[in-house]
Amino acid sequence: MKKTNDTTIHKTGLGARASRRLSNTVIYIILILITCIWLFPFFGIVLESFRVETTQQVPYLFPKEFGLDNYIRLFKETDFLKWFGNTAVMGIATAVLQTVFILSMSYVLSRLRFKGRKGLMNFMLILGMFPGFLTLILIYKVFSELGLTNEMAPVGLIIVYCASSGMGYYVSKGFFDTIPKSLDEAARVDGATRWQVFYKVIMPLSKPIIIYTVLMGFMAPWGDFMMANYIAHQTSDGMNVAVGMFEWLSRTNLNTHYTMFCAAGVIVAIPVVTVFLFLQKYYVEGVTGGAVKG
Amino acid sequence: MKMSKILSLVLAALMLVACFASCTTPDAGNEDTTAGSDASAELAGTYDITMWVSEKEGVATLTQKQIEAFMAANPGIVINAKIEGVTEADAGSLVVADVATAPDIYCFAQDQLARLVQAAALAAPGKNAAENIKNANDAGSVAAGSVAGTLYAYPMTSDNGYYMYYNTSIISEEDAESMEKLIAACEANNLKFRYALENAWYTASFFFATGCHSNWSMDTEGNFTSVDDTFNSAEGLAAMKGMQKLAQSSCYDSNADIFTDAGVIITGIWNAEAAEEHFGANFGATDLPSFEVDGKSYHLGSYTGNKLMGVKPQTDAKKAAVLSLLAQYLTGEECQLERYEQFQWGPSNKAAQASEAVQANPSLAALAKQGEFGVPQGQIHGSWWDIAKVLGADAKAATSDADLQTALDEYKTTIDGLFQMTDEQKNAWGVIGNICDTNWDTDFPMTEEPAGTYTSDVLELKAGQEFKVRQGASWEVNFGVEFNGANIVVEKDGKYKVQLVWDGAQGGTVTLIEVTE
Repeated sequence: MKKTNDTTIHKTGLGARASRRLSNTVIYIILILITCIWLFPFFGIVLESFRVETTQQVPYLFPKEFGLDNYIRLFKETDFLKWFGNTAVMGIATAVLQTVFILSMSYVLSRLRFKGRKGLMNFMLILGMFPGFLTLILIYKVFSELGLTNEMAPVGLIIVYCASSGMGYYVSKGFFDTIPKSLDEAARVDGATRWQVFYKVIMPLSKPIIIYTVLMGFMAPWGDFMMANYIAHQTSDGMNVAVGMFEWLSRTNLNTHYTMFCAAGVIVAIPVVTVFLFLQKYYVEGVTGGAVKG
Repeated sequence: MKMSKILSLVLAALMLVACFASCTTPDAGNEDTTAGSDASAELAGTYDITMWVSEKEGVATLTQKQIEAFMAANPGIVINAKIEGVTEADAGSLVVADVATAPDIYCFAQDQLARLVQAAALAAPGKNAAENIKNANDAGSVAAGSVAGTLYAYPMTSDNGYYMYYNTSIISEEDAESMEKLIAACEANNLKFRYALENAWYTASFFFATGCHSNWSMDTEGNFTSVDDTFNSAEGLAAMKGMQKLAQSSCYDSNADIFTDAGVIITGIWNAEAAEEHFGANFGATDLPSFEVDGKSYHLGSYTGNKLMGVKPQTDAKKAAVLSLLAQYLTGEECQLERYEQFQWGPSNKAAQASEAVQANPSLAALAKQGEFGVPQGQIHGSWWDIAKVLGADAKAATSDADLQTALDEYKTTIDGLFQMTDEQKNAWGVIGNICDTNWDTDFPMTEEPAGTYTSDVLELKAGQEFKVRQGASWEVNFGVEFNGANIVVEKDGKYKVQLVWDGAQGGTVTLIEVTE
């Protein structure tokens, strides 16, 4: 049966279904190739983290001996757990505070009309164009006087991350703008206060954008290096993962810590990836939802 | 907030206790005059200190152990040390960034000394301590810790140099002496010749090979005043050609921090363990090779350098004394040997250097062999590193000798641009020589009174020392026994003022005026 089928297709040339299948196959092959290239570094890091025959960099990919030595060393011999804890605390605190600030700001700018609103928005737009590290030295000096550097760096950094976060209102304001104002008005007519409107009407409708904001807040401390490095000022107890791990790439440590660095990289990826996987569908909705009307 | 209040109360209480302890002890045990017990009785108390040591794994733990040994040797002194690992390569910049919160004791590579002295971040050891340190450590390390004759830091290692590791299965001991043969062997075996030529610390080795030098002068405050640099010369061009040979080879790789595929790697003691692991049975270590240019052979030079321990100035005199004692202990023979045993760090202490274990180490032996061609790093202007490293990349990119010469010309222009002197500085006279613990790198200022007569401050000179006077910290206008003449030799020890009577051109006489109190 099959054979005859095949031959008939060959005889009559490619049918519509077959040609679609062919183009799909080609597209899938290309996509798979791109995925492979894109995933390769991650795959490499995972493999490196299980390599135990040497701690140096090697010219081959697959470890000759697999083992958990790097992970064991990571938790037993280094301050990694401390850094990880610092970063997680900063991530959670930033996620909560930043979300509150951003949502309040966006709601106000989207719904309320007050004197100087336009001017304020323009001012924040311009202010936001200056990179944050311009204020690095000043912030350090102030924090140093307040005792928020060194061991206390995580607290200082939470303040840094959250302080100006209200200026990042654009995406969520865009989203709020798409929710019909008539809903607000209806609720107001029924006697709801501004807060009740925000809390009971707008919030349930904006899950995607809330989750997007939470995610962005949670992610920020994991990748921050410049600010975190300066504020922690070489005190191990106050470092985040990026700053702590960077030490392992120095001239004296690279050849003895390289595989451990990879192991730490894998561990750091876990919370971020988990959170992402769970909230992924909202994330996409959040980004595009806010983009409909800017 | 609460916590810090409690802490400060506890600290205050401890200080009180310390005061009583120091009040009562002196009359108790005064007959014993050995430095250790006498000092520790006077200084008894509890001290909270912060410390930065190398970030290398295990260094902090060892330091903690050594501090405990120090406390055992000095009963009464209790030290609560908080030790952080910070790379010695830029500990200095981090300290300068905020001296107030910097640690009490920190370790750094010697190139940062000048900046630290300028920022007043180093407390010089006392006179007796300095004398002991000078006697115990090799001359290079003492010079590395000194600015204009004053010792500011405690020498810790004399191993901050580089040499060669190679694969003995493809390169014979004899071939390891020739850069051309090393390149050929690496190319034939598809292995890498790893040499960080785009890092000025390594770039310089080709120039030292052909006899170039770059010597920098500083005034007593740690500011650079002039440079005597001969990189832009016929010898410099030969160095560029040699560098080009290696840089344009297919086996050349400028990343010498990793060992991947390395047949030959130029690196230092910090990679000793990694090198042994990488080469395994084929491990070979020796001095740098020679290269040939235009029929002449040049042995590659290198920088030799030191790591130093610094103590931050303190407001509390007792704490300062304790820190100085501790730093002396930590950089003493015993501790240096312990660091050698655990990390293979080459000691600067002469007694430790002479120990059998140190003598038998292959990496340190290679470093010592290279030492013959080494140039002590001395004090170098911070910008030089960025200016000189370009030469390595230029040599690689060059397609003709003219390109190489252009690179050298640009180098020279940039170097000269560092010293845009004011007219006042250009006209100022100074005394320079191997006097007052300096080595032709420091200008002692002279003042003009009356016009045409220049006199220095009182200088302690010793018989046999030589000096000259020069204008504008350059050698264009200088007087020895005559204009641009031989050095003046001091005939007998004493305190002198150096005086120059100058006619504004080539006529002038230098006289030594002995000062008697």
